[in-house]
Amino acid sequence: MIDVAQLKAHAKGLLEKGTVRTVFGYRKSTAGLLAEPAGITEAAQADDLIFDPSCVQNLALYLVNDKKHQAEKRSDDKRPVAVVAKGCDSRAITVLLQENHFSRESVHVIGVSCEGTGVVDARKLARKLGNKKALAVAFDGADAFAVTTNEGTQSIAAAEVMAERCLECRSAHPTLSDVVFGEAKAERGLHTPFQAVKAKIKESEEDRWAYWSRQFDRCLRCYACRSVCPMCYCDECVVDSISFVIAPDTTAEEKANRIKWIERSPAKSESAMYHMVRAIHLAGRCIDCAECERVCPVNIPLRLLNTRLEMEAFETFQYNPGSDPELPTLTSSFRDTDPNSFIR
Amino acid sequence: MAKVEQTAKDETGFEPKIVAFLCKWCSSAGSDLAGVSRLQYPSNAVPITIMCSGSMSPMFVLSAFNKGADGVLVSGCHPGDCHYLKGNFYARRKIYLVQKLLQFIGLENDRFRMSWVSAAEGAKFAQVMHDFVTDIKKIGPQTRLKAKRP
Amino acid sequence: MTKRTGVFVCHCGNNIAATVDVVRVAEELGREEGVVYSKDYVYMCSDPGQSTMAKAIKENKLDGVVVSCCSPTLHEKTFRDVTEEGGGLNSFRCEIANIREQCAWVHSDKPKATEKALKITKAAVKRVQHNQSLTPIGVPVTRKVLVIGGGIAGIQASLDLANAGFEVILVEKNPTVGGHMIQLSETFPTLDCSQCILSPKMVEISKHKNIKLLTQAEVKEISGFVGNFKAKIHQKAVYVDPETCKICDDCAKVCPTVVSNEYDVGLTSRRAIFIPFAQAIPATYTLDESACLGLNPVVCGKCAEVCEAGAINYDMRPKVITEEIGAIIVATGFDLYGKENLGEYGMGRYADVLDGLQFERLCSASGPTGGHVLRPSDHKEPKNVVFIQCAGSRDPETHCAYCSKICCMYTAKHATLYKHHVPDGQAYVFYIDIRSGGKGYEEFVQRSMERDEVMYLRGRVSKVYEKSGKMIVLGVDTISGKNVEIEADMVVLALAMQPSQGTADAAKTLKIGRDKDGFLAEAHPKLRPVESVTGGIFLAGAAQAPKDIPETVCQASAAASKVIQLLSKDELMHSPTVAKVRLSHCTGCEMCVQACPYGAIDLGAPSNKARVNDVLCEGCGTCQAVCLRAAIDVKNVAQVQIHDMINACLGV
Repeated sequence: MIDVAQLKAHAKGLLEKGTVRTVFGYRKSTAGLLAEPAGITEAAQADDLIFDPSCVQNLALYLVNDKKHQAEKRSDDKRPVAVVAKGCDSRAITVLLQENHFSRESVHVIGVSCEGTGVVDARKLARKLGNKKALAVAFDGADAFAVTTNEGTQSIAAAEVMAERCLECRSAHPTLSDVVFGEAKAERGLHTPFQAVKAKIKESEEDRWAYWSRQFDRCLRCYACRSVCPMCYCDECVVDSISFVIAPDTTAEEKANRIKWIERSPAKSESAMYHMVRAIHLAGRCIDCAECERVCPVNIPLRLLNTRLEMEAFETFQYNPGSDPELPTLTSSFRDTDPNSFIR
Repeated sequence: MAKVEQTAKDETGFEPKIVAFLCKWCSSAGSDLAGVSRLQYPSNAVPITIMCSGSMSPMFVLSAFNKGADGVLVSGCHPGDCHYLKGNFYARRKIYLVQKLLQFIGLENDRFRMSWVSAAEGAKFAQVMHDFVTDIKKIGPQTRLKAKRP
Repeated sequence: MTKRTGVFVCHCGNNIAATVDVVRVAEELGREEGVVYSKDYVYMCSDPGQSTMAKAIKENKLDGVVVSCCSPTLHEKTFRDVTEEGGGLNSFRCEIANIREQCAWVHSDKPKATEKALKITKAAVKRVQHNQSLTPIGVPVTRKVLVIGGGIAGIQASLDLANAGFEVILVEKNPTVGGHMIQLSETFPTLDCSQCILSPKMVEISKHKNIKLLTQAEVKEISGFVGNFKAKIHQKAVYVDPETCKICDDCAKVCPTVVSNEYDVGLTSRRAIFIPFAQAIPATYTLDESACLGLNPVVCGKCAEVCEAGAINYDMRPKVITEEIGAIIVATGFDLYGKENLGEYGMGRYADVLDGLQFERLCSASGPTGGHVLRPSDHKEPKNVVFIQCAGSRDPETHCAYCSKICCMYTAKHATLYKHHVPDGQAYVFYIDIRSGGKGYEEFVQRSMERDEVMYLRGRVSKVYEKSGKMIVLGVDTISGKNVEIEADMVVLALAMQPSQGTADAAKTLKIGRDKDGFLAEAHPKLRPVESVTGGIFLAGAAQAPKDIPETVCQASAAASKVIQLLSKDELMHSPTVAKVRLSHCTGCEMCVQACPYGAIDLGAPSNKARVNDVLCEGCGTCQAVCLRAAIDVKNVAQVQIHDMINACLGV
């Protein structure tokens, strides 16, 4: 089990010595069950840091955002930033390193192992508790959560209320870290990976289209999925003409060459295109943090969509995103033995 | 040869709109050979010659369906024969992923196809065209991803 | 986006007009956005057609041109030239819409074909409206040539180039140039002595001011591109200074190590310090470090002790030489097919079963027997000699499928030479066919049969074995239909030619293709037989396919002339339709760098964003398809152009 005191002490040490500019971690939220991401810059704030099953967010996003802010501020503070990273978060950081988004020296990874469990799915928990309202959730041994409600604390089997992605997690231990808290547990044996995707594939074409058609129709195109995704770090989104950057030095030729692949209106066809482009652009890059699905205001099953190609990456191409920053990416590499029989 | 055209005809009168992305060096040259050999095939597919199947962006496929294509074909050099050494290998992996995604969201399976056609395979090109049009006529018009335009 | 496009629709007589309503195509295109001129004409490619086009471009101040006609492979160049030279508009502002091969010729329903022709032409208009004016990229060339392999092919190519005034680096991995040809005694069909015709050329190589000869050297790395290659050459330490060596042979006399002599194909032996043969170039002794007792005066050091000239230096070290060159000729030659593969003929097991090169040495005046044909086993004159052709060739099941081409001729030569040496002997030749195409070749074979009474037996040999000092050859004569058993004193196998190890290595280092048999692949089997698929790398000699000396010399001179053609200009022209990075959108993720088949992209200072080397880029667009942010595009085939073309094809 993770000793949070050690985590706090480590963060405090980093800030006291001034070796890092900021520590991105989790602290107790003032609004609701889930922890909130915190960027702390003072050693004294380190005491606020927590790590429990409510720490669902992928903090790799904050590294991406921090880079943008530093650039906007024209900051010349070149010290690294520290980040608390679960197994999935560390894979995201690895993908970002693979794509040279930042250098290894510029980030200090404080790895935290989820060990036998993972993080909580707030919706599942609410369903489980019925009328009771969860106030806090903590690890309770190897395979349970201690859930505190207004009626006291109870122990719930983790598998019952754990996030789907954690149930299918292939590596709960950070793959990349400068320091790691908690022990490595390789074999978790909860669900087989890609279970949900495989179940969906078994459905008929008609049913699948009926399902996705409904989902795409409901999309508001609020772009919350894009905003929360650490891989969607482009300044300009190819399928969102609103995001096109017009700078003083943008030439007329550049403006003329902007492609409006889809219409802005949240029509079904355009939303379908948007989500498919995102899924394609995430192929071999998505590390299954499922943040897109969690933040979607209309509950579109984006994790299901985006892990479809991750399944191909893993099973067909033996490609495991976020495993090695030195590997070429999935689509900028090939093998002679790649599938060929689908071609006529 | 006229027979090929005959069999592709359908009672419903539905004429599919197809975009065929052909690599310049093999498949486009193969279609030229089909032309020189006067092999007849249905006229539904409009060819767009690209430099290499490796330059085939998934955006092109999705966009074509969005714009109302009933079918999309990508055709390149056979593995090992790429004019640009290995562009078709990158294409193969990318197209495979796009195809899996389109199948997953429930677009009809036969609407997106890839083929290898060499510069010497004029007859194969005509056959690929004929088969594709026949198959798409069976499925009918593509409405799932097509944008409704005023 | 340009605003003044012109469209020219060709009837191609009736080729297009019979199936496509060309008048309607021209009319409808005239109403397209940005099209200010649209016209059909019976033959656009004819002189009047071209003048019409040139005139229309000028009069209408066109800034884009679409010619709706046949395949671009036929007339793209024609119409681009008209656009530029006649119309005064940059040639890259002209695009072809192929409505003949891809439309008129493959459809018969006129309304449908016309619809398709309209879409094809509209798509081309959309494309051309985004085209930029481009100028071919000039690349300065290094007027220096690397020739790999110092056999007759490499020697001939080097001399041709050097005599034309180009600097040549000739790299040979053995201690001397000369290759297999210098091992031969006489050459067919004229029977002139191989040494006599080759040695003067070898000497010329060593004396030529434009040729830098590097023996015992191998090319380890090639980078760069046509006109501007960089080669890394490793040269072994030779331990003898060629300038001071007096070729006195004192060192070899005292050397205690004896190893097999490669020049005599193992029929004699040499010392660890040796000269391959008297006429070797460079004319110097050399120390074979793999055979030497230890390059250490404490262990042996006898050769250094006796060398009066003081030419021997054990402290020499291997060198790495870097050379910049503009073109490369690969002349890495052949090896004989492995004798271990032909167990049924007893090769390697019986001393008196020889390969063709060993027989050459036996016939040679400078050979192990001083030019007398004697059996290696007992030094007696063989009275019956059996020559077996196609040993390893033309046998797709077990050996090489191809014909080694030269064996028919050299076997006839061997049989003739044998008869000259042993007039009372009998020569037998087992053959499948006699392939004697070539000037004077057939006459030569006939002469060997008639004058030298060589007995030709059409059939295969099944087995060779030894019985009381004789080689028993079991075969079949398919003409008489009888089994044949010959008690021979010597058997000579015409082993297949296969690509040398050096050829395989060179293909790997230079990244040039090989065919199914391992020979170097030419760019086109008929029209570009001396070019590799990689620009600036040329092929000569048996590395490309089995061939005889005249053919090899011919190909070497052809390769040299191709190089001269290439390097005679100050600049090479490279297509300007290359990839271009939008720096504002590039994040330096390196996907394009990884995917580029040509290594043409790297991350460049100061912001570590993608940077395209225009000269290496071939414009394939693989980069554009892997880029997630549309930060890279190929000029004039940009994504926006494909996007607009898709719309046009779908009538959106």
